[in-house]
Amino acid sequence: MLVLRRRAGEAILLGDDIEIEVVEISRTRVKLGVKAPRNLPVLRREAAAVAGENKASALASGDDIQNILRLLRNSTCQA
Amino acid sequence: MTAEAMATVRVQTKVRSRFLGELSNEPGSELFLPAGIPGFESEHSLLPVEIPAYRPLVFLQSTERPDVCFICLPVSSIDPDFSIVVGEDDRATLGLPAEGELVAGEDILCLALLLPLPGAVRTNLDAPIVINLRTYLCAQVVLTRCNGSRRLAADGRWEREC
Repeated sequence: MLVLRRRAGEAILLGDDIEIEVVEISRTRVKLGVKAPRNLPVLRREAAAVAGENKASALASGDDIQNILRLLRNSTCQA
Repeated sequence: MTAEAMATVRVQTKVRSRFLGELSNEPGSELFLPAGIPGFESEHSLLPVEIPAYRPLVFLQSTERPDVCFICLPVSSIDPDFSIVVGEDDRATLGLPAEGELVAGEDILCLALLLPLPGAVRTNLDAPIVINLRTYLCAQVVLTRCNGSRRLAADGRWEREC
């Protein structure tokens, strides 16, 4: 991993199309500004994992819905 | 389409869904997602749908793409002790006050996306869909690990996943 030190207002470049600027630094967080092509998703790392989950959720089938309902109704019956 | 532009659309429209067929979209009933959600950054409008035969599920159907339909449950039905801290960036996206307590059911509604697995269902309570109940602005709030994942097993119990 390449590690660079930047102050607020300074930036780094990734290739020709991507710029990351340190907008603000607080005691516990850094605010970053990202300029990148619109077709390049820019995500927090934890959001990238969620993206995969969301895609899987959106691909659920009609059979999946019935299975989910069956499981939920098992839960209700046991309540 | 911006939220303001969508607010000016007063005619009822139809929304097609791969699960639910043709749905009527009453003006003002859709949720507006300024930033989409991870993996679906171009999805800015979802129609919430509840169908008696499928209760307690809540479907979030894309108004643009029939093949994009998320299956959800209110988070409170999975974990009654669920709590969420909405950060300033997410509050700004959702049009919420920058500070102050947010009351579930009054200010916001949290939905959990369901992920079907073989014989089970999983949901990530660290990535709820949060809806501003006053403006219908919506976003997926991704938390650093606080509530964890839950799995609904064959015996009908929601179990915390490690």
